[in-house]
Amino acid sequence: MYSDQHLRVSDAEREAVCARLAEHFAAGRLDQAEFDDRVGRAMSAKTRADLRGLFADLPETGAPAVPELPRGGGGTPGDGPRGPGSPIEFRLDAASGVPTYLQLVHQVEHALRLGYLTLGDQLPKVRDVVASLAINPNTVLKAYKELETKGLTAGRPGQGTFIQATLGQVALPELAGLRKSLLGWLGTADAAGLDQDGIVALFTSALRDFYKRRGGTAERRGAAGGGTEDVA
Amino acid sequence: MTALTVPARPEHHAGLRPVPWRRMAWVTWRQHRAALGGVAAFLGAFAVYLWLSGLQMHHAEAAYCHPASSLSCAINFTGRYGETAIIVSIALQAVPALIGAFAGAPVLARELETGTFRYAWTQGIGRLRWTVGELVPLAVAVTAVAGTFTVLIGWYNQPWVAAGYVTPFSARVFDLLGFAFAAWTLAAFAIGVLAGMLIRRAVPAIAATLAAYAALAFATALWLREHYITPLVTHDPNLPGSAWIISHWYTGHDGKPLSQAAISQILRADHAATNKIGPNTFQTSVNVVGYLTQHGYTFWVSYQPGSRFWPFQWIEGGWLLALSVLLIAATVWLVRRRAA
Amino acid sequence: MTMNIIETSGLGKRYGSTWALRECTLAIPAGHVAALVGPNGAGKTTLLNLAVGLADPSAGGVTVLGDKPAGSPAALDGIAFVAQDTPLYKNLSAADMLHLTRNLNRRFDQRYAESRLGELGIPLNRKAGKLSGGQQAQLALTLALGRRPRLLVLDEPVAMLDPVARHDFMATVLTAAADDGVSVLLSSHVLAELERVADYLILLSLGRVQVAGEVDGLLACHRLLTGPAAEADRYTERPVVHARRGQAQAHLLVRAGADDPVPPGWETHPVDLEELVMAYLREPGAAALPGPARGRALPPETGEPSEVTR
Repeated sequence: MYSDQHLRVSDAEREAVCARLAEHFAAGRLDQAEFDDRVGRAMSAKTRADLRGLFADLPETGAPAVPELPRGGGGTPGDGPRGPGSPIEFRLDAASGVPTYLQLVHQVEHALRLGYLTLGDQLPKVRDVVASLAINPNTVLKAYKELETKGLTAGRPGQGTFIQATLGQVALPELAGLRKSLLGWLGTADAAGLDQDGIVALFTSALRDFYKRRGGTAERRGAAGGGTEDVA
Repeated sequence: MTALTVPARPEHHAGLRPVPWRRMAWVTWRQHRAALGGVAAFLGAFAVYLWLSGLQMHHAEAAYCHPASSLSCAINFTGRYGETAIIVSIALQAVPALIGAFAGAPVLARELETGTFRYAWTQGIGRLRWTVGELVPLAVAVTAVAGTFTVLIGWYNQPWVAAGYVTPFSARVFDLLGFAFAAWTLAAFAIGVLAGMLIRRAVPAIAATLAAYAALAFATALWLREHYITPLVTHDPNLPGSAWIISHWYTGHDGKPLSQAAISQILRADHAATNKIGPNTFQTSVNVVGYLTQHGYTFWVSYQPGSRFWPFQWIEGGWLLALSVLLIAATVWLVRRRAA
Repeated sequence: MTMNIIETSGLGKRYGSTWALRECTLAIPAGHVAALVGPNGAGKTTLLNLAVGLADPSAGGVTVLGDKPAGSPAALDGIAFVAQDTPLYKNLSAADMLHLTRNLNRRFDQRYAESRLGELGIPLNRKAGKLSGGQQAQLALTLALGRRPRLLVLDEPVAMLDPVARHDFMATVLTAAADDGVSVLLSSHVLAELERVADYLILLSLGRVQVAGEVDGLLACHRLLTGPAAEADRYTERPVVHARRGQAQAHLLVRAGADDPVPPGWETHPVDLEELVMAYLREPGAAALPGPARGRALPPETGEPSEVTR
């Protein structure tokens, strides 16, 4: 798995590493100076080995520090496409209760946020998604159509579906700051006696009100759609 | 609702041309080559035996049975090989039944039993062509093989006919000769095929085929065959050996036939006659006939002359062929009826 | 693409004096993966047998691939059927089965079939009876897809397969749907996988069609209402398909759209497919038939038990 240490890294991968570092900073594992230093080293890193070195003393937090090239990784059984494929690979959570097409939409958006996908990247071919996940082709088409409606992707006939916009990027320090203040708020809510579900309910309804006041478009409602309805 | 775009596919030709027969022929061959091989092996082994045994019999007959009624013939030929010949004839009687049952019954029964008909009858060729393509070649093959085998049987029987031991008309060999053997094999096959379709299980179908065939064969030999052409009637007690004697009776002065009891009474009443002929002698022996005719009774015998052998073969072959065609057609009709 | 891949009108089949299927009127559009669901004895196999020409109707009729009578040469040509227990000739090798299928059909893609078997690791010279259950199912499927059908009909195809074999089998089926636009009709017991696999649903119960329609449409016009049990009995705004009650709380599965007003104090949730199917299976008297051939949207006022569309 680590045989690709010598490979050069892309801007997308550097950005993803910075986001990762920001998480560790917000968690309090790095102080400001260390954080700035590591971000600087990440931005000037040339190979994967350089990037990995930045996490030597930091714990794993689930997703890999440096995105893996699609090699059947990503958790799905069955091989992904060989050769020039999509940077991402879908997976299904059968027990989540979230409709399949929405899971795919969310995974694309999540990948965009984390930097696995950037402008111009191709989404997996419909046929390949069907072959590896054993889902209805119309479901994949529906997900891709939804992404197109949101303006995130565009289909090129005969070639595939490509990313044509990214989700609004917030600058990295701002992101870190937001995260820190959110953790503060969470501490307050916890002290007030709210449990996890209560916090989620409160947050969800406030989110809804906020966007209603803003005159939310179909885009936003779609993003908030899947999970919020189940808790009232 | 979004639907998949259909990429360009080769569209069907207007008016589907049917799947060619020769392709179905391969299917039948591949599916049944084991059964056909079994039949061939079985008959082959039997043929080898007949050939070897027949050579001995031919040799013995040629050496000892000219004249045919000599004592040396009785010892070296009839006495030595007679029993074997009878046993072989009986065994040969079973051959059409076995071939028909084991080649015919499983054809449809196995498909229905194992469920493979759900594959076979949903292929592009259609169930009708499939069924005809399975049954007809097998029927022809089975009949042809049986027809060839008959030649060997005829050769095997030839010394016995020459020695006057058996007439071709006799029930023991009539259906082994000429057209009859092949026709009986075909009929057994047809019965098997229909039984397989009706019973839908191979082993019970085989059993039912053997039973039905046996019933038909016995009914024909014991009753039907003698009525193909009205038998000739004569008073002559000395009929040639080639004739097939069907029955005989006596009529009294009034022209009415006498029962066996009445005849026995007449014979016993005359002690002299009884002493001469003994109480249990067959009544067609010359003594009895002579005695009764002397005393004013008339002797009648109905028979089929030997010359009618081939017409009878044609008749028997003909109605068996018609029956086979009918049974196979009925089977095809049942398949067509789509009872799933 | 508006052709109906299977169309039945008043279709019925009787065995002796029992009707295995009655008054079945369907119009399944092409280009979909349709799931046929129902309890044992509901008539699923009967319906499939009628569609592929293995049985003749006792009442009504069925046409396939647009306008071809079921069982006709044109229909047989365009439909491939894999029956329950995937019947194969056990003493023929896989290569023989390919040869057999090639000879019994006008059209057979030998190269596709061989490469597919190679990918699956099924040796061509092994007798079909010696293959594992999953391999036999894949072989039967390969034979069916090698015929390049327009419609693939599967009768409980994955019932006897282990999870991996099941996944691979369905992946093959769905890839064929994606690549070649093959329509699929499959009967299934496995409700949990329906949502992933099917985009058209037919629910049979006691020989009659209870539910028929596109999955998206069905889910869009059903909601789950949760509220006080005391009020549940008085709820009449929308037809109730199935009700579940606790002491204080009740859940009502109703036929309503997402925008329909919710009684005060009640919550509304969307319904997922498994829940919907279970609710209808528990209420044999209810039906949801949008009259697909006529293109009508489901009228929300239809009470229960619903009439069968003619």
